[in-house]
Amino acid sequence: MVTVSAYPDAAEGAVSAITVAVTPDTVLVGDRIHCTIAVRHSADVVVALEGIDSLSVQPFELINRKQVSALVFPGTRQERFDFELAVFGRGRQSIPPFTVVLRNSEGKVINREACKPSRAVFVRALTDSTMRELRPIKPPLKPMIPLLLLLPVVLGVFGIAGFVLLLLFLLKRSVRTSAEKVDPGQVAQRKLRKLGSRLSAGMPPPECYEELSNIMRTFLEKHYRIRALEAVTQEIERDLKKLGVAGFESIMNLLAQADLVKFADSRPDAEESRQSLRKAEELIRSARIPHSPEE
Amino acid sequence: MQHAVELEELGMRITEASHFLEKAEEQLSRRVIGQHDVIRRIFIAMLVNGHVLLEGVPGLAKTLIIRTFAAAMNLKFQRIQFTPDMLPADLIGTMIYNPKDLEFYPRKGPVFANVILADEINRSPAKVQSALLEAMQERQVTIGTQTFPLQEPFLVLATQNPIEHEGTYVLPEAQVDRFMMKVLVDYPSYDEELEIMLQSATNAKPAPIVPVVQSDDIARARALIDLIYVDPRVQRYIVDLVVASRKPAQYGIPSLEAMIEYGASPRASIFLLLASKAHAFLQHRAYITPEDVKAIAYDTLRHRIRPGYEAEADNIKPDDIIRQILQHVQVP
Repeated sequence: MVTVSAYPDAAEGAVSAITVAVTPDTVLVGDRIHCTIAVRHSADVVVALEGIDSLSVQPFELINRKQVSALVFPGTRQERFDFELAVFGRGRQSIPPFTVVLRNSEGKVINREACKPSRAVFVRALTDSTMRELRPIKPPLKPMIPLLLLLPVVLGVFGIAGFVLLLLFLLKRSVRTSAEKVDPGQVAQRKLRKLGSRLSAGMPPPECYEELSNIMRTFLEKHYRIRALEAVTQEIERDLKKLGVAGFESIMNLLAQADLVKFADSRPDAEESRQSLRKAEELIRSARIPHSPEE
Repeated sequence: MQHAVELEELGMRITEASHFLEKAEEQLSRRVIGQHDVIRRIFIAMLVNGHVLLEGVPGLAKTLIIRTFAAAMNLKFQRIQFTPDMLPADLIGTMIYNPKDLEFYPRKGPVFANVILADEINRSPAKVQSALLEAMQERQVTIGTQTFPLQEPFLVLATQNPIEHEGTYVLPEAQVDRFMMKVLVDYPSYDEELEIMLQSATNAKPAPIVPVVQSDDIARARALIDLIYVDPRVQRYIVDLVVASRKPAQYGIPSLEAMIEYGASPRASIFLLLASKAHAFLQHRAYITPEDVKAIAYDTLRHRIRPGYEAEADNIKPDDIIRQILQHVQVP
């Protein structure tokens, strides 16, 4: 619904046109309408509306108000006032009259234009005589969780899962790296020291030799990367010879001595066992990985 | 090291008692070039009362080795060529009727000797093979109603050809199991071949073999072998190897489960221990080490492990299975 009041001359201090638009023209009681009032005027004056604030009396209630000014063509501007109004009452309700006030640059009122819009809004009651049956009661709508709210949650879950996987990967890698970094020589020496303590605590020397043999074989297997735990002493000797391990004779003597204890029922005393442990520690300390022939 | 002193003493006695084997080996080397492993396996079998099945293509001096061995050891030798028309009586002997006194007398067959070469044993029918294998097991032969003990030492060295199977009677597993070892006779090396050629391609008589063994040398050696110390760890290692051939998954070799139709019998454990002792004896040692066990494991186990269908399809031999077992069973 549009109402236009045209004024033939838009001289200084005059209004050239006032337009009033209301949508929608039929509403239920309590619904809202949008009322737009556009005022065209000369560019050197300031426009204000009076009386429209009184729309907050029955049957309208002012909800929102917005003002936009724009230059339409040189010398003429348009002030646009947008009002959001809640409508009450019942039946035809006219838009109330208002006054356009023009002020010069010094703020002095130079003109007042009273405007009475001819259009109205038809307000329908929630129950009226046209109703023949009860309106169906709509089931209450479940509050919808907006997708935008769900998205951060989903992203968060994925993020946490990814973070956990990354942590596990890093943990595994660090464990593997640390395992690789463990020097078999250090491990063997620590075991030998423990064995020495157990020997001092009364461990039978034959048992000591058996364990000594196992420690040496494990060390040889890890240090020189040969199969020593499933190999007999001769096979270990052959492999060490092949690798060109310096001083392998001492290693073989130690293993042969352990073999005597293990297989020939030889019974060394504690002092002999201690000497063998010391010898083993020396051998491990002096062990170096041999360079391959290509190097 | 108190006990070691006793074993050292025993070791010295063993060194002394095994001297005759070195002399015999020297005699053998005058006729036989190479094949040291085969000769050592025959010594082992003789020392612990076992029998050997030799497998190899023709012309690898199998017969020569055995004949020379018997001559050097001063033992009575008999060669029996097994043929499809052979009868058990041709082997063990039979009862002969004497028309003069109207009585039957036993005539002993060629099995009554110290060293028997059963040449191409798989060419004779099962009944003849059974007769020989029974003699091997019982060390006695019954002819008619009389039972005759066989002479000591009694060593059967049977040969079979791995490439010709037409017209042969494959030895049943139960009978193969009675052989202590199955030794594969391989081709000589290049240098050995050269030496064999130069030595044999002549009309001159071969070097004579001097018997170097006294009558009680073998018995004394056997007595000392019985004294050889076997640590419980080595005993368990032997059993581990044999059980691993039956239940490889228990020893961390599940891939072998499908490869083995059946594993080694308890006879394998017995022979593995005996052969290890004899091996240690040859090394002049009074105790067994896992090295002895590993050294004779192939020869003692290869005819006792039957590869399954999958192994045959993949061309996996018993030796491959044994190799895997030896690589996975932890040495004490």
